[in-house]
Amino acid sequence: MKRYITGRLVYTGFILFLVSILIFALARLLPGDPIQAAAMINTDLADKQVIQDLRARFGLDKPLYVQYGIWLRDFITGEWGVSIGSGETVFEMFFNRLPVTLELFAGSVIWSFLIGFPLGIFAALRRNTWLDAVLTTTSIVGVSIPVFWEGIVLIYLFSVVLHLLPPAGFVPFSESPLQNLLSVVMPTFVMGTHGAGLFARYVRSCLLEVMGQDFIRTARAKGLSEKAILITHAAKPAMIPVVTVVGLAWSYVVGGSFLVEYIFAIPGLGRMGVDAVFARDFPVIQATLVLVAMNVLIVNLIVDLLYGYLDPRISLQ
Amino acid sequence: MTMDEETVSSDIRQAGDSEKEPAPPEFETGRREPRRSLRTGIRPILYAILHHKTACMGILIILLLTVMALFAPWLAPHDPNEQDLYHVLESPSRRHLLGTDDVGRDLLSRVLFGARVSLFVGLSSTVFSALIGIFIGLVAGYKGGAIDMLTMRITDTFMCIPGLIFLLVLAAALGPGVHNIIIAIAALGWTGFARITRGQVLSLRQLPFVEAAHAAGASGWRIMFRHLLPNAMAPIIVAASITVGGAIMLESAAAFLGLGVQPPTPSWGEALRVGYSYLEIVPLFSIVPGLMITLAVLAFNFLGDGLRDALDPRLRGEAQKIV
Amino acid sequence: MAGLLEVRNLSTHFSTKEGLIRAVEDVSFDLDAGETLGLVGESGCGKSVSAMSLMRLIPNPPGKIVNGEIVFEGRDLLKLGDEEIRHIRGNRMAMIFQEPMTSFNPVMTIGRQVAEPLEIHRNMTRNKAWTICADLLRRVRIPEAGKRLQSYPHQFSGGMRQRAMIAMALACTPRLIIADEPTTALDVTIQAQLLELMKQLTRDAGTALILITHNLGIVARYADRVNVMYAGRIVEKATVRALYADPRHPYTVGLMASIPRLDQDVKRKLRPIPGQPPDLLHPPSGCAFHPRCRNRIPVCEIHRPALEKASDGHEVACWNPVREAPPCC
Repeated sequence: MKRYITGRLVYTGFILFLVSILIFALARLLPGDPIQAAAMINTDLADKQVIQDLRARFGLDKPLYVQYGIWLRDFITGEWGVSIGSGETVFEMFFNRLPVTLELFAGSVIWSFLIGFPLGIFAALRRNTWLDAVLTTTSIVGVSIPVFWEGIVLIYLFSVVLHLLPPAGFVPFSESPLQNLLSVVMPTFVMGTHGAGLFARYVRSCLLEVMGQDFIRTARAKGLSEKAILITHAAKPAMIPVVTVVGLAWSYVVGGSFLVEYIFAIPGLGRMGVDAVFARDFPVIQATLVLVAMNVLIVNLIVDLLYGYLDPRISLQ
Repeated sequence: MTMDEETVSSDIRQAGDSEKEPAPPEFETGRREPRRSLRTGIRPILYAILHHKTACMGILIILLLTVMALFAPWLAPHDPNEQDLYHVLESPSRRHLLGTDDVGRDLLSRVLFGARVSLFVGLSSTVFSALIGIFIGLVAGYKGGAIDMLTMRITDTFMCIPGLIFLLVLAAALGPGVHNIIIAIAALGWTGFARITRGQVLSLRQLPFVEAAHAAGASGWRIMFRHLLPNAMAPIIVAASITVGGAIMLESAAAFLGLGVQPPTPSWGEALRVGYSYLEIVPLFSIVPGLMITLAVLAFNFLGDGLRDALDPRLRGEAQKIV
Repeated sequence: MAGLLEVRNLSTHFSTKEGLIRAVEDVSFDLDAGETLGLVGESGCGKSVSAMSLMRLIPNPPGKIVNGEIVFEGRDLLKLGDEEIRHIRGNRMAMIFQEPMTSFNPVMTIGRQVAEPLEIHRNMTRNKAWTICADLLRRVRIPEAGKRLQSYPHQFSGGMRQRAMIAMALACTPRLIIADEPTTALDVTIQAQLLELMKQLTRDAGTALILITHNLGIVARYADRVNVMYAGRIVEKATVRALYADPRHPYTVGLMASIPRLDQDVKRKLRPIPGQPPDLLHPPSGCAFHPRCRNRIPVCEIHRPALEKASDGHEVACWNPVREAPPCC
C-alpha cells in the first residue's frame, strides 16, 4: 500500500509538472503577449520603448525556460497576475468566487449520486425488462443532453411556465438560506446530470458483472437470500470499479460549471473563466486552467487512493 | 518510477476484468466465440447491430440528420438567410411552421440547414482526432518503454483539463470559425483514441501472429498498420461513434457562447444562443435547436452503445448468458 | 432402506437463442447416507447441471428444471419455496465448486466467508462463528488457522482456497456434499491430498458425497458407486467394483481405455474415443453415443435404449453392451 500511495503521489506530481508546461506553452502561443494585451487597453503603453521596458521588467525577453521558472515561482507564491479587465488580482478574484462554485460542485455531486445509484441498481435488478430498457435509455440521454439546453429547458419549465424557481442569479447562503437553496437547485441538477447518467450506466454494468461471477454462486449455495447477496457480497466488489468513474464524472461537473454558471448568471469561477475567454483576459484564463487541472488531478488522486484502500488486492500488498 | 505503479494498478484492474470473464458453463454450447476481427465477421456484426434496438434508433436518427443536411436546400421552405424584419419572433404559423427568429428568418429552414455544420464539424474533427490518436497509440503501444511512458503521460495531461474548458481557451486563442473549431476539437479529442489504440496494441502485441510477422521479416510500420491496426479497430470504431457525438456537443457549446461558427451561417448552437434571450416570448426559438443537438448527440451515443455490444464478443457472451 | 436422496426422472433444459438444450434428461439415482457416489462423464455431459439442479441453483432464465423429483431427507426439493430451499443450501446440503480462484469473494476475508453458513443457518454471532471457523480451518489442515481467518482469498494458494472451500461446506455438518470437479484446477499432488482429506472428513461426519469428475481414476479410488453420464443421460450405473470388473457400456469401456495406467504393459496403446462429444443442440438420433460407438448395430440409430439391469446393482442403457471382459483386465 505504501508503494502504491507513493506511486500515485509521484504520478500526480509528474502530471502536474507536465500540465504546467502545457499551460505555459499555451499562454505563450496565444496571440499577443500580456503586455501587448494590456497595451490595447491602456493606450499610454502603446509606445514601443515603454513596451520594451515592460517586457524586460516582466522577464519576457529572457529565454523560455527562465520565463517558465519565473512563471512557476509566481504561481506557487500566489502571484497570479492582475486581471486585464477588472484590475483585481486574479488571486483575490479566485478566492472571492470559490465558495459559490464549491457549493455548486457539492450540490451537483449530491444530485449525481442521488439519481445515478438508484437508477443503476434498479436497472441491474430488473435486467432485461422494460424497466431496465427505460432506465438504461434514460441514462444515455443523461450523458448526451447538452447542459446548456437542459438548463434552458428547465428555466422555461420551472421559471417561465410554473414560476417555481428563480430563472437565474445567486443568493448567498448567509443572506437567505432558503433563497440560496432555491437558486442552486436547477444549476446543480443540470451540472449533475451527466454524472448521474454515467453512474447509472456504470453501477448497472458493474453490478451485473459481479452478479454473474462464481463467488455469487458460492454465496447462493450457502443459502443466502438474493437481498443478502446483493448487500454483503455484490455491493462492495461492484462499487470498487464505480469509484474509478468518479474522476470522469467530476471532470463533467467542472466542465459543466462553466456553461451552467454562464446560463444561470452565477458569479462563480466558471463564469469568471467564460468572461475571461470573452475578454481575452489571459492572466485569468491561465490561472483558471491551472486551477481546473489541479482540481481534476487532486480528485483523481483521491479516487485512486480510495480505490487502493477499498481493494484488498492493492491495500495488502 | 511512476511507470511501475501505473502498470501495477492497471494490471490489477485488468486482472479483475479477466477474472470476471466467466468460464463457459458446461451447459452452454461449449464453444467460445473467437475474437472477432473486422475482416472476418462483418455480417454477424451487422446482424447484431440491426437487432440492437437503441442502435437502430441511433442509425435512424443519423440517417434523418444526414438527409436533412444533404437535402436542406430542397427541404427548407424558405431561404435560411432571408430576413423579414416585419415578421420577427413570430410563433408557429402556416407560413413559418416553427416561427421566425429575431430578424425574421424562418426557424425551420435554419434548423434544417443547421444539421450541416453540426455533422460536418462532428465528423471531420473526429476523423482528425482519430488519425492523430491512432498513430500515437500505435507507436506508443508498439515501441513501449520510454516513448510509451512519455506519450501516455502527455495524454493524461491533456485529459485533466475538461474538454469544454480546453475548447473555450483554444477557441479564444485561435479565434472563432468552423475551421478553428475543428482544429480545437481535434487537438483535444485525440487522447481517447491514443489510449484505446495503445491498450489494444499492448494486448495484441503478445499474440503469436505478431511474432510470426516479425519472424517473416515484416518491418515495424508494416506490423503496426497491417497486423495490429486492423485487429484493434473494434473499440476504435466504438470510440469514434461516441466521439462524433461529443464533438457535436462541443461545437454547439462553443457556438452557444459565440465562439463557434459565425453568423449568418445557420447553426443550432448559434440559434440557441440568440433564442435563449427570447425564451419567454418564443420558447421554440431555443428549444428546437437544442432538441436537435440532443438528438444528434444521443444518436451517436446510441450507435456507439450498439456497436460496443456488437463488436465485443465478451460482452455479447455476457448478454447471452443473461438472456 | 430409506435413502438420503432419491432423484427421479430429473430433466433440466436451457433455452438459448440457438435452440433448446436438454442438458439433463430423465436422470434417476439414489444415494444412501454416508455413501459416496461418483458422477462421471466428458465435459458437457450434464454432470454439473445435475449437481446444480440438486441445489436448485440453475439460473432461470435460461435454465429450467422441467420435470422430476428430488427427494432429499423425505422432502421433494422441487416443491419447496425459496425460503425453505435456502434453509437446505449450505446447511443440509453443501457444494464445493471447481474454481477455487473465483469462487471466493475477493474483497471479503476468508473467515467471514467460511463463517457465513454458521451465521445464517445457526444464528451464531460473528465471534462464536469465528471460533468454530478457526477449528474448521484446522481440520482441513490450514496452518495457523486462527490467523488465516483474517486473510483475503488472493493471499491463499489454489490448494488452500479449496481447503477453505471444504471447511465452508463442512461448517454446518451437512448430510450431503456435492463436489463438482473439486480438484481439476489443482496440481496432481495437491489433488490427492485434498481428495484424501475430503474422504476422511466426510467419513468421520457420516456425510454423503457426490463426486463429480471426468477422471475415472479418482472415482475408482474414492467412490462407492458410479453413474456414467453421456449427453445428459445416465448410460451406466454400477458399484465401483462391478464397473471396473465388468464395464458394459461401450462408452464406459472407451473412457477406461483412454486412461493411462501405471500397472499396465507400457506397450499397450491408449485408445481415445473417436469423434467429438455430442452437440446438445442437435443430439444424434437413437442412442446419443451411436456415432462414436464400436458396438453400433442398426437399431442404435433409431431407438434410444433404456437403462436395464445387467446384473445385481448394475444397470446399462445399451442395445449391444460389451460382454467380454475388457482387454485391460
